[in-house]
Amino acid sequence: MIQSSLLAYIGLSAILFAIGFIGVLLRRNAIVIFMSLELMLIASTLALVAFSKFNGTMDGDVFVFFILTVAAAEVAVGLAIVVALFRQKQTIQVSELDSLKH
Amino acid sequence: MNPSTLALLLIVVPVGSAALTACFLRKYHALATLLSVLVATFYLGGALDLALSGARFEHSFEWLKLANLTINLGFKFDDLAALMLSIVGIVGFCVHIFSLGYMKDDPAKARYFAGLSIFMASMTGIVFADNLFMMFIFWELVGFSSYVLINHWHEKDGPMNASKKAFITNRVGDFGFLIGILMCYWLRGTVNLSELTAQASAGTAVISTAIPLLLFCGAVGKSAQLPLQVWLPDAMEGPTPVSALIHAATMVAAGIYMLCRIEVLMVPDALTVISWVGALTALYAALCAIIQRDIKKVLAYSTLSQLGYMVTAFGLGSLTIHSETGAEILVKAGVGAAMFHLTTHAFFKALLFLGSGSVIHGCHHEQDIFKMGGLRGHMKVTFITFTLGVAAISGFPLLAGFFSKDAILYLAYENNKAIFALLAVTAALTAFYMIRMWIIVFFGKARSDHAAHAHEGGFVLQAPLALLAVLAVFGGYRSFYPHGFEGIFNLVAEAEGPAKLGMLVVSLIVLSLGAGLAFAVYRSVATLTQHDPLEAKFPKLFIFIISLKESFDSVYTYYIDKVQQRFAMLLNFFDLLGLGGFIRLGAGAVSILGFGVRALHVGKLNVYLYWFFFGVVFLWLYVAGIF
Repeated sequence: MIQSSLLAYIGLSAILFAIGFIGVLLRRNAIVIFMSLELMLIASTLALVAFSKFNGTMDGDVFVFFILTVAAAEVAVGLAIVVALFRQKQTIQVSELDSLKH
Repeated sequence: MNPSTLALLLIVVPVGSAALTACFLRKYHALATLLSVLVATFYLGGALDLALSGARFEHSFEWLKLANLTINLGFKFDDLAALMLSIVGIVGFCVHIFSLGYMKDDPAKARYFAGLSIFMASMTGIVFADNLFMMFIFWELVGFSSYVLINHWHEKDGPMNASKKAFITNRVGDFGFLIGILMCYWLRGTVNLSELTAQASAGTAVISTAIPLLLFCGAVGKSAQLPLQVWLPDAMEGPTPVSALIHAATMVAAGIYMLCRIEVLMVPDALTVISWVGALTALYAALCAIIQRDIKKVLAYSTLSQLGYMVTAFGLGSLTIHSETGAEILVKAGVGAAMFHLTTHAFFKALLFLGSGSVIHGCHHEQDIFKMGGLRGHMKVTFITFTLGVAAISGFPLLAGFFSKDAILYLAYENNKAIFALLAVTAALTAFYMIRMWIIVFFGKARSDHAAHAHEGGFVLQAPLALLAVLAVFGGYRSFYPHGFEGIFNLVAEAEGPAKLGMLVVSLIVLSLGAGLAFAVYRSVATLTQHDPLEAKFPKLFIFIISLKESFDSVYTYYIDKVQQRFAMLLNFFDLLGLGGFIRLGAGAVSILGFGVRALHVGKLNVYLYWFFFGVVFLWLYVAGIF
């Protein structure tokens, strides 16, 4: 088994996070933004797991469990909001959701 | 019942009834009327019970304490207060009963009766007040209640302006009153009436001419003396029973009562000023009264004139009399004569005003006496009672006004001959204008359709007239009054020996002169048209009096328009420039900032995310110490 260095894990995590972040900034579809957010979350958990492994402690792993639990709840609520939004406005393009301004 | 509890009830019950009506019964006119009349009946009973039971007490409790200043609310009930309280009770009751008929079809009856209740309560507060602060509080309440009642028909311009004029003119006087109270507290250390009396008798009082004169300012406003008399004739715009209440028992009487209360503060110089102000007012108002065409205006000016009498009487001060044992005693004859005349005047002036109300009611709200005439046949009860009132105010022998006016004339004769002459002329004028009005209204033939179809107003309008007529006839005899008022009536000085005969002759001459002139000028009453024969005979006199009457109003109008208004505009300019300028500058800066910040609010989710991102970056840079 190839022993990867910690830097590789952190690098992967950073790339994933950046993809997610850019997705959030640039995409207009609420579900895609949501997926990008999840990607950022997963990128950070990956970093935590890597830290845990290389430090030989369980701290990071425990953290990951909590993050997964909270993320599951967040997805349930978030998707429900998106569904409700669609029913209300007939669109989930965030560029058209501008009733705060107009 | 404990007297002080009853005294408290006499204030609380009318206030409670007014509050109840104002809050809940505005639409329930019959209920509100019943409530108010019941309260007036209770008040009359309570007032007479307190006055006649001989209970005299002082009771005070702390109301407000600010550092060294303690303001008490308290009751001081002596013979003076008892007399005033009885007058308020009797006249108030008569006015309530009369209003039942007079205001029967008024659409805002509930408000009217609530106003009457609060008026009586405010006046009661002045009567009971044992210190000047408390008196001032109720003094202002009297001003407020008069405003409400004069303004009863507020949809018309006349009453609206009249009520504002009354209120503002009173405020001018009240300002002096307030300064006087503060100065009294400053120099004497107390405003409690009993403590002031104690200081005066102990000889430790600080003598000041300013205090009584400033306090007199309040009386000048409330009792409508020169130069603040302008509000009173205008106040005739209110309902007639209200005029009766204002002119007989409350409001204008409050000024005289207050003077009698603060008698211990008086100094000779102040008394001289007061007596001259009173005498000039008496003469001025009597002159104005002889040309009036409005029945209520005649009575209004006659009230002014009689108030002048009372103020003069008070200002004439004390008198040395020889007792039966030969010793010389100094009595406060001024207080006695003023209160005596206030009492008799309350009766016959309430009678005259309610009588005029009955006439106005009978003539379908016609107030011009030259459009009346011949009412003697149509309104018998009103005619008889009104005649008694006219005779009483003119000083017809053996009626109420004769005795009280004589007491004042005698006092003037002993103390100041010039004032005596003024008052004698005024008395002749009084007889003249009262009999002029009496002839024009009741004799001759009807000069308008309304007068031809005049009618009596029924029992509720006649009963108060009858009661007051009895009082106006017998009110001059001191033995008529039950025990309890000796403290005041013993102060009334009476002429003795040759002086008594002299006074009788003088008053008879004065009366016959005035009455004779009136009969001579209006002898052809049967052929009277709607023009005043006095104007035809003495046009110059007529013009002179009109200009005299108008002079005060025109001076005040000039002052307000040309001086006060311009000064206000100047102040307004500085306000716009200075205050307004700075504040508008600040407001402008904030709004420009707001304009800029508003540009950040675009309504696009992605843009907010960028802002969020920049915010995080900024925070990171800050925490990392790069900034």
